Amino acid sequence: MEQSPVNAAQSEAAMAAPLEFEIQDLRFEYDRVPALNGLSLRVREGERISLLGANGSGKSTLLRLMDGLYFAQAGTLRFRGEPLTEDALEDEAFALRFRRQVGLVFQNPDVQLFNPTVFDEVAFGPLQLGWSRQEILDRVMSTLQWIGAEHLKDRAPYRLSGGEKKRVAIASVVVLDPDVLLLDEPTAALDPRSQSQVIELLESWNDGRKTVITATHQLEALSEISGRAVVLRQGRVVADAAPEAVLADTELLEAANLVHVHRHEHGGVAHKHVSPYLRHEHHK
Amino acid sequence: MHIPDGYLSPSTCAVLYAASAPCWITALRRTRRRLLARSLPQLALFAAFSFVIMMFNLPLPGGTTGHAVGVGIAAIVLGPWSSLLAISLALTIQALFFGDGGITTLGANCFNMAIAGSFAAWVLYRLISLGAAPESRRRVLAAALAGYGAINFSALLAAIEFGVQPMLFHDAAGAPLYAPYPLHVAIPAMMAGHLTVAGAAEAVMSAGLFGYLRRNEPVLVGLSAPPAESARPLRAPLWGVLALAMLLTPLGILAGGTAWGEWSAADFSDSSARTQMVAASGHMAAPSAAPTGLAHLTNLWTAPMPDYAPRFVKSAAFGYLLSAIFGVGLICAVVWVIFWIAGRFGAGDDGVPVASSTGRRLRAGVVSRTLRGFSRALERTLVQEDTARARGLLQAVDPRVKLIGLLGLVVTAALSHRLAVLAGLLALGVALAVASRLSLLRLVTRVWLVAFSFTALIAAPALFLTPGAPLAHFAGLTITANGAHSALLLLARVEAAVTLGTLLVLTTPWMHLLKALRTLFVPVEVIALLAMTHRYVVLLVETSNAMFESRQSRMVGRLSPRQERRLMIETGGVLMSKTLALGNEVFLAMRARGFRGEVRLIEEFRLRPSDAVAGVGFAAAIVLALSAGR
Ligand SMILES: Nc1ncnc2c1ncn2[C@@H]1O[C@H](COP(=O)(O)OP(=O)(O)OP(=O)(O)O)[C@@H](O)[C@H]1O
Ligand SMILES: [Mg+2]
Repeated sequence: MEQSPVNAAQSEAAMAAPLEFEIQDLRFEYDRVPALNGLSLRVREGERISLLGANGSGKSTLLRLMDGLYFAQAGTLRFRGEPLTEDALEDEAFALRFRRQVGLVFQNPDVQLFNPTVFDEVAFGPLQLGWSRQEILDRVMSTLQWIGAEHLKDRAPYRLSGGEKKRVAIASVVVLDPDVLLLDEPTAALDPRSQSQVIELLESWNDGRKTVITATHQLEALSEISGRAVVLRQGRVVADAAPEAVLADTELLEAANLVHVHRHEHGGVAHKHVSPYLRHEHHK
Repeated sequence: MHIPDGYLSPSTCAVLYAASAPCWITALRRTRRRLLARSLPQLALFAAFSFVIMMFNLPLPGGTTGHAVGVGIAAIVLGPWSSLLAISLALTIQALFFGDGGITTLGANCFNMAIAGSFAAWVLYRLISLGAAPESRRRVLAAALAGYGAINFSALLAAIEFGVQPMLFHDAAGAPLYAPYPLHVAIPAMMAGHLTVAGAAEAVMSAGLFGYLRRNEPVLVGLSAPPAESARPLRAPLWGVLALAMLLTPLGILAGGTAWGEWSAADFSDSSARTQMVAASGHMAAPSAAPTGLAHLTNLWTAPMPDYAPRFVKSAAFGYLLSAIFGVGLICAVVWVIFWIAGRFGAGDDGVPVASSTGRRLRAGVVSRTLRGFSRALERTLVQEDTARARGLLQAVDPRVKLIGLLGLVVTAALSHRLAVLAGLLALGVALAVASRLSLLRLVTRVWLVAFSFTALIAAPALFLTPGAPLAHFAGLTITANGAHSALLLLARVEAAVTLGTLLVLTTPWMHLLKALRTLFVPVEVIALLAMTHRYVVLLVETSNAMFESRQSRMVGRLSPRQERRLMIETGGVLMSKTLALGNEVFLAMRARGFRGEVRLIEEFRLRPSDAVAGVGFAAAIVLALSAGR
């Protein structure tokens, strides 16, 4: 892959921080549907990155590879210097460490919620990692409190509203207090107030040393949630820069299908609107 | 084909468990490596799919019901080993959770439907489609015949197991102790239904799903595998034939007539006993000595049979007459069941309201009723979690103690030969249910009535078939005292076993049950499979409900039966792909949070003094019932 055009986003401190993920020329396809086509990316500890791209550009796929759920057909993916492969994860000790350090919130909360109650759901991860009973009870309750879902504790997760499900899904991952948090559209399906609440929560959780990678379509909150924006297109990185720089680059956004450019005429005068993808409102 | 508890003698059960075990172990070994990675989701999917397919009971003459199994398509997609695991799993869940099929007979049911069915389907498909092009019509035909052949093979095995019971197990007066049909009644009755109704259903389903998958998921049916893989099919049928031959050897006992060793070795030198044996086995010559291994196994489980002469009804006309009686009986039962379901869900009390987008009420067709069945299954799983978390006597008992104790009581009920003992066990079950705050109404409607309706159909012929002193006359037939006794015995045994099994399920949260099984040395792969399958069943139900609702909201008027059938097949296919995709996701989500197949609970099981008391209580009840039951 060609070297990323801009790297302004990365502060000097971040440049000095150790590498969390090192991704080289990654290729992945689902039964002949190519999803990643030689993607390269370096993520340093403490970075907050947003992953942009049109539907189907490969954001979710990338996050799954980074979480060790899928494995690339070609290219390398290293986590803290160690290659993340199927064989590596067969190793009990490594798997335990990795699962503890990296958490993924899925795009679709329905698939993430499979326990009989919300409490069990949040306790699932800690149980798998073999924490002590008291620790689990404390952490689950404090996480539920933090996300504002305490009152849902004994409810069945699949009977919650869309937004409540999303919160529980986030809680079920954050409870592990991972060093790296991968979020696949954490604010989709939330009402505007919940959206900002979730963003604030995630910010409050992040003490500055956590690495957070967020796949999102929401250009409005970009600078709030990240210090670096990576734009994907057809399974490749097409831009990697500060959020402001990416937002200012209309050509790029249009090319990556992130904004909808609407041309029409007002009384004979040609007129052009740029509106964020999916947020376009018709305009008389 | 789900043989309930009490229909097969303990020794038959043991033999079939033993026949199944090597298959399960081999299958687990073969799939182990990939189990926690790729094939588990698929396997669980097919288990769930088969589970649902088997919920469609079709009435068959002969006192049994029939249904498609889904084994045809499962074997084609998964291969026989994974397929047999998948179907076994579906059967296990049905037995544990839905009282469909017994616990003691689980080995038999798995042997018939999962193991024999999977191999039969797979061999048939491979043989018939040998050398056929991927797009060839022959493959569809092969899929249809694989399903048809497999289900009929399974049915034949079940019929044989039913049929050998009265010959092998009856009391001193000749009244059957277990299933009352002799082979010459059971086989035609069972096969009549499977060669027609159930076989056709399985064939159509296999072919329909195969066609669908070939078009949409060719990888699944092995039609777009890379060339390196194509070496596999050559070797595979040979293994299948070998395995099939091996699996068939237990039936050699029957063909050789050696199963008569059940009576006692001495009978083989007793001339009058020999005469009876020859008469009972269709005038086939009896062997001169009993096979010692079989005699030994029999003695391990049941008291040797007394030396007496069985008197079988040999009139062919009577067989036909029975079929007619059952036909009518089954139609009544099915109508009753449909009314029951319609009554429960038609009023929209807790089901999906049946309304179209125009607000006009639609009469539910087959598809709709099918989907209602799904929501019922969902409701049951949810209800189970509710009752399992209530504060009651059994809920407080350690799951391991409960598992062993209640299963022990179920086996005891199956072994018991006395009405008083069975009544005692049933009373114990009711007392435990009350103490555990279970709704008796629910127990009566969901468990007793259902078990009764099916058992009654099977027990009814025993009333007339069994020779003995006349008791009453009914529609030109004579009810004998022995007949009434053995019918009652059968009924009581089934009710007691089913009630006790239901108690276990209703008072134990699903994860605790898994954990208890785990602590009792059930391998981790089996537990992971059970956990995933449970999740898939719920998922399948949710998905199908959502699909049903979205379809319903776009439908106006009523569908013709043809449209319904098309919709059914299409829905099946779409449902399968959709659940496959969703299920994979769920599995990934579990792995993302560290799931590696081990069940972990917040509360470690800890034995308390009260559990010791419960354990002693169970043991006392079992010992008491066993000693009184002989
Ligand atoms: N399970 C799957 N099977 C086959 N193809 C898939 C699967 N999941 C994704 N794809 C394909 O892979 C490509 C990348 O998908 P991915 O889910 O990574 O996109 P995304 O950027 O997350 O999109 P969105 O914004 O819609 O969530 C798409 O072309 C998609 O169709
Ligand atoms: Mg996505």
